[in-house]
Amino acid sequence: MPLDSSIYTLSALRLDGRRWNELRRINGQISTQQAADGSSYFEMGNTKIVCTVNGPQEQKRGGGRDQSNEAKVEVEIGIAGFSGVDRKRRMRNDKRIQEMQYTISSAFQNTLFTHLYPHSTIAINLHVLSQDGSLLAACLNACTLALIDAGIPMSDYIAACTTGSMASYADKEDEADPLLDLNGLEEQELPFLTVGTSGGEDKVSVLIMETRVQMARLEAMISVGLDGCKQIRSILDGIVRAHGKKVLESKVS
Amino acid sequence: MPREAEPSTNEQAFLLSALRENIRLDSRAFDAFRPIDLSFPGGPDEYGTAEVRIGKTRVLAKISAEVVAPYADRKFEGVFTIACELSPMGSAAFEVGRQDQSEILLSRLLEKTIRRSGALDTESLCIVAGSKCFHIRADIHVLDHDGNLMDASCLALVAALMHFRRPDVEIHGEEVTVFDVRERDPVRLAMQHQPFCVTTSYYDGGAIMLQDATLLEEQCRDGEIVISMNRFGEVCSIAKYGGTPVDGLSMLTCTNVALEKVKMLDKLVKDSLAADEKRRDAGGLMAELSAENDR
Amino acid sequence: MATITVLLPGEEVPVDQLPKARKGKLTLGPGLRHIAPSTILSTTTGSLYVDHKKSALWLEHDNGRYQPAVGDSVIAQVHHGGAESYACSLTPHTSFALLGQLAFEGANKKTRPQLKAGDLVYARVSRASKWEDTEIECFNSGTGKAEGMGPLKGGMLFDVSPSFARRLMMGTEKDGRSKGGVVVLEEVGEKVRFEVAVGRNGRVWVDSSSVRETLAVGRLVTQADEGKWNLEQQRKAVKKSLRDL
Repeated sequence: MPLDSSIYTLSALRLDGRRWNELRRINGQISTQQAADGSSYFEMGNTKIVCTVNGPQEQKRGGGRDQSNEAKVEVEIGIAGFSGVDRKRRMRNDKRIQEMQYTISSAFQNTLFTHLYPHSTIAINLHVLSQDGSLLAACLNACTLALIDAGIPMSDYIAACTTGSMASYADKEDEADPLLDLNGLEEQELPFLTVGTSGGEDKVSVLIMETRVQMARLEAMISVGLDGCKQIRSILDGIVRAHGKKVLESKVS
Repeated sequence: MPREAEPSTNEQAFLLSALRENIRLDSRAFDAFRPIDLSFPGGPDEYGTAEVRIGKTRVLAKISAEVVAPYADRKFEGVFTIACELSPMGSAAFEVGRQDQSEILLSRLLEKTIRRSGALDTESLCIVAGSKCFHIRADIHVLDHDGNLMDASCLALVAALMHFRRPDVEIHGEEVTVFDVRERDPVRLAMQHQPFCVTTSYYDGGAIMLQDATLLEEQCRDGEIVISMNRFGEVCSIAKYGGTPVDGLSMLTCTNVALEKVKMLDKLVKDSLAADEKRRDAGGLMAELSAENDR
Repeated sequence: MATITVLLPGEEVPVDQLPKARKGKLTLGPGLRHIAPSTILSTTTGSLYVDHKKSALWLEHDNGRYQPAVGDSVIAQVHHGGAESYACSLTPHTSFALLGQLAFEGANKKTRPQLKAGDLVYARVSRASKWEDTEIECFNSGTGKAEGMGPLKGGMLFDVSPSFARRLMMGTEKDGRSKGGVVVLEEVGEKVRFEVAVGRNGRVWVDSSSVRETLAVGRLVTQADEGKWNLEQQRKAVKKSLRDL
């Protein structure tokens, strides 16, 4: 379905009524499942993710595997068949999903204080209930919340979002505007990238881009992305603090 | 017994202190590639095999074609698959049959760089819409692993694709004739652009960045950024899978360095192809078959 | 004196190559096996080297993996520490060699070196056979002294082929000529101060005052091995790199 590009200028609105630098409605909850050590539910517009964390626990395949003195982060993603527009049963061995799993585990391997838990595993399970763009970004944010709920120490939140560029639809240079937080339809048509920050405003922890875009547009896209991540980080922080306040109040009373 | 051979603490410490003094172990500049050797082995009628050597890393790519039915949801396009296997031949750390992380990442990156970016025009592979098309299959074999598999594999794959000739076809109504190589000269593949991969490894949180890491440098690095682009400056894919955070400005510098390297690789491929063309055409047949007249 | 005959596995050493045995004794080096009463068979490929003075013969082979032999000095990398011993690797991707935790000079339960994964040690092979794990030790169990063995700190490791390492360790003859035909270390040692440890398993450890010097020495050694330089080429390369320093 081709986008109607005539409405996409800086001043005008996108299909869902947002401007170019507005995030979608973000909603998150912590401690949604009691059985897991840490859990969260995260929504970014219509992309809904449930995340549970189990760990740190003993290595499942131990015995002789005397590896480095750090915990291992293992990630599993399950995409529900009803999550997309067409009902599709995703095989778990899909390479795209494995790549996402590796990205998430590698990102957290460097942010979590893994040296505190040698020879153990931190298992993260993600379930995608509905996808409408920004899948990897929402997964990273959901994981951050769940890991904080599990009480695993980390150096900073990993906040992620997507940015895209109007480049393929622009006639002139200055009309190639960056867009923040793409939904599913926009992701199919426009070049986009997922950026995740951690440990400071300008520090990029994860950057994945799979579509073609001119080199010159990258700078604008990345800076808009970093700004978006800053906003997301404060939202995540707010969710965590609100939950903490609730827990304290229930204990006091 | 395959086991990841970790370098000793002495080696890691030495490598880092050398890098901080701006010295690489083999005295290259930080953004210099090792000597690259690209060749097209095979007889005069065999097209589509490319062997790349970057220093001691060796990768072989082979392209083959067959006629199949296209996918039901893509009736007007041909099929293009990339198969990549890391066998113990490349390094004792690889195991047979088991798909471990590096293999998955390598094949995903190659797919993103070449398939998703549309380097090969799949519509040109269609013969009869909905019933017959070409299935181009690329096989990558890693013969020796001394770092920088990504760049070497991508280079080999693109060079092989540009070298390969598929059989010629003729359609008369409903009948399709696929000519054998001996009956009619085979036809080149239609490539829209040539993407190349450049991997940047970084240390010290982004303070030190270098290209074309050897195996030891790869094992000691903080993280890596893989950028695929073509010589027009179009970035096909960027991948930074976690690793220590780097600030945004450094990433943009990486992209600029990558563009230079891509232009160098592109020129290398074109020169090698031209030299190979001459070698295969040793009898001057091309000149004879040409219909141009001297005026 | 060395005569060059190349043998394949299973070939007999021709009788005219055998040195004149003094007191009827003949020493066989690596790669040869004695079948009674008077045949000597080769077990691997290699060039046959004969030393008439010492009545010794052995086979030299350039590549190949190092096979542990008792009495060899090796550089081992610690992989992990077990209950009684450290598991070390002599060559990557092979079974571990065991280094007893008390196998150091003057070590007892209270005072022993604490080795971590990734540390390098200079050790001697104490037990090597096909049927059991190789064992190494960091002191001479006969005398109880360290003799230069033990953990190696700092410096850098370089890889060479096992036969080159053997030549490096051969030392010099009385008239100053190098027995193994490698003069690189001696020549560089005249101008640059450095510490070196050569492991028969194909590893050379070099430590010097600066990164540049260590790198120069190490690179000379590895290039001499790869390029199979003779004495002249070695001297020229040493002079060239000393000028750059």
